[in-house]
Amino acid sequence: MTELKFVFGDPEVCTGCMVCVNVCSMRYSKVIGPSWSRVRAVRIEPGLDFPLFCRNCEDAPCMAACPNEAISRTSKGVVIVNNKKCTGSGECVKACPYYAIRLHPDTEKAIKCIQCGACVDRCPVNAIWITTENELNEKDADGRLSSLYEKHETELYNKEEI
Amino acid sequence: MKGIGGNNLWIDLTKGEIEKRPVEEEMVNEYLLGAGYLSRVLYDNIPVGIDPLSPKNVLGIATGLLTGSMFPQASRHVVAALSPLTDVWGESHAAGFWGPELKFAGYDAIIFTGASSDPVYLYIQNDTVELLDASDIWGTSVFETDDWIREKHSKRARVLSIGQAGENKVRFAAVMNDRDRASARSGLGAVMGSKGLKAISVRGTGKLEVADPKDYLNQMDIFYERMLANPFTKERAKYGTTNLVELMNHIGRLPSYNMRQGVFEGFEKISGHTITEKHLVKPRSDWSCLQRCGRYTRVKEGPYKYIGGSPEFESQSSLGSRCGNDNLESVLFSHHLANMYGMDTISLGATISWAMEAWDEGLLTSEDTDGIDLAWGNHETVVKLTEMIALREGFGDILAEGSVRAAERIGRGTEKFVMTVKKQEIAGQEPRAQKSMGLAAVTAARGADHLYAFPVLDEAGFDKEIKERFGEQYLPEMADRLNPKYKGIMVKECEDFMVMVESVGLCKYGTQIPPEFYYDDVAQALRIHNGLDLTSEELQTIGERIVNLNRLFNVARGVTRSDDQLPDRLTKEGAPKGPSPGQVVELDQMLDEYYEQRGWNLENGFPTMDTLKRLGLEKEGKAVIK
Ligand code: SF4
Repeated sequence: MTELKFVFGDPEVCTGCMVCVNVCSMRYSKVIGPSWSRVRAVRIEPGLDFPLFCRNCEDAPCMAACPNEAISRTSKGVVIVNNKKCTGSGECVKACPYYAIRLHPDTEKAIKCIQCGACVDRCPVNAIWITTENELNEKDADGRLSSLYEKHETELYNKEEI
Repeated sequence: MKGIGGNNLWIDLTKGEIEKRPVEEEMVNEYLLGAGYLSRVLYDNIPVGIDPLSPKNVLGIATGLLTGSMFPQASRHVVAALSPLTDVWGESHAAGFWGPELKFAGYDAIIFTGASSDPVYLYIQNDTVELLDASDIWGTSVFETDDWIREKHSKRARVLSIGQAGENKVRFAAVMNDRDRASARSGLGAVMGSKGLKAISVRGTGKLEVADPKDYLNQMDIFYERMLANPFTKERAKYGTTNLVELMNHIGRLPSYNMRQGVFEGFEKISGHTITEKHLVKPRSDWSCLQRCGRYTRVKEGPYKYIGGSPEFESQSSLGSRCGNDNLESVLFSHHLANMYGMDTISLGATISWAMEAWDEGLLTSEDTDGIDLAWGNHETVVKLTEMIALREGFGDILAEGSVRAAERIGRGTEKFVMTVKKQEIAGQEPRAQKSMGLAAVTAARGADHLYAFPVLDEAGFDKEIKERFGEQYLPEMADRLNPKYKGIMVKECEDFMVMVESVGLCKYGTQIPPEFYYDDVAQALRIHNGLDLTSEELQTIGERIVNLNRLFNVARGVTRSDDQLPDRLTKEGAPKGPSPGQVVELDQMLDEYYEQRGWNLENGFPTMDTLKRLGLEKEGKAVIK
């Protein structure tokens, strides 16, 4: 199996500027508004800013949860939503442990990060990058990043409206 | 119009009534939004002769046309009212996320009239707008208020509030947002406190539609690239504004020992390099900010332990060199406390340093100060007084009035050491080492101020930009910070541009320093974001109109040329030390040039009827200038 890619960010480097969030909503929905973006940026004091993306899980619970088989994985390993099949049931939103798939406020169909890299290119501080599970484990050998994410998971993934 | 919230909120706090009014587009064409919008609304609604802390004052908070856009640094909002510190035009600005959030909730500005008899906070969640009981948070700090509101309503709420200083009507209390962002100057936190308004909680889940969605990202990419390629951006990201301490000390422009001199022997200890090395956690950005001058810092242990957002050059200078204080941890901690209580660090440090000079001169003794030792550099005193001023305890109660009123109260010749213009304390620019800053301090509508004009083009070798913005004929004099020549021309131009920038919600970083974006860039952004077709010339005229209306606001309240003055120390006593010894501010010469350039009367400093006519302010002028 090809190694699954996802975008990941360092909350101690991210400054919370929202550029990634805005680039995403403008690119895909032609508006500015965090609820229209597939990226979220969550500030947690003291001093942390988490840029949050789809983690491209191997067992992708969103895929399994969809009652309409609207979510599938491409040959390149990207999990995508078929707009024709999506009825906006919201089952995927409930299933995702990362609150990384949500319903578009206008179309009410599911939207999620597809690792296009538009935000990665524009992040002014290189706080985000495209990676894989193995690569990330290597980079984060001391567990600094994973422990920051774990420590704050309740607040990061609470499914309150964005 | 595209790219804005679309509605303004008018809140009558006396009656508890809330009204939504659509943004008046005709007014946008004449005043834009933000500072310009408030200049007009408050001009029309604040009666002459009222007490700024009475219910008759009107408090406005407005975002700019580009606030919440993708333009670099488009994060800002403006707060304005009649100032309880200066008794004239009061205005202050901050970055953050609160302004964009207000837009996403569907609003561009909020105007508060009257006063509530019981403490309230305004709760906004998209269409839901309510005044709620604030008795549980009255008496708490800015941080506690932020925590309480976000715990109660939503972790994602953005909060603007006052701390104890605003409640206690400290005359230089700030309006705070997003915990550590401050609309600090002019004492507007006291106005909010006088109205019984503790906070505004905003949650907006809407969107901004833009005028040119197709080309928007391409255009923004060009602005991003220019901003990131500018060498200042890298420097800003690394030091924020903190390394201005060393740069300003080098040119003798770092106010020290009140404002006796512009160099400080302990500068290295409070410098940007030291902060970056020992205390920086990370740089922080506000909405769409590529400059990231915001600092997040900590002191790990000891009496001054904290973690939070701070500092900024102004605080290092006011709480540090100005008080002769080279204890960096105390400077950082005192700034942290000022954020927590909600106070302007400039007036805070300047007022303490006034008292320290009076003490040094033997005019204040421990009988006046409840036994507190006010010797230069006593860092414990700086920290203690920060708290006592916010809570109006003991001697702090006198200092909470600001240095002018405190000196009136004490008397004994202590007025001589008050470093203010129109009762507001002069910021961290020793003007004998940069003449334009001396002029800017006296012409600013809100009293002593470096930001109304922010004339920095003579500060750091911007000859190219001077040539582009003014013309080659003004070089080399205009670029020479010690030469008073052409500074009237420069300050006038900078004021027009800066008030325009504050009316669109952009930052002075990126527009003035570095001078990367100018009128044509703003015009372009207004086109693609708002669909507004305004030329550079029209934008400049709007800036001029706002400055003139601010002036009329002040003229109506008795301001004349005789109020556009600096303390004698700066115009008569030569700088005693440093690289510019013997320099004074040649104020009269610069002021003549400035008035002439503005089309104002040289004798009294009033706008002439010709000028007002050209700007469409004839009616207002006739009512004020008899
Ligand atoms: S663009 Fe980069 S710095 Fe800005 S919020 Fe996104 S990840 Fe953080």
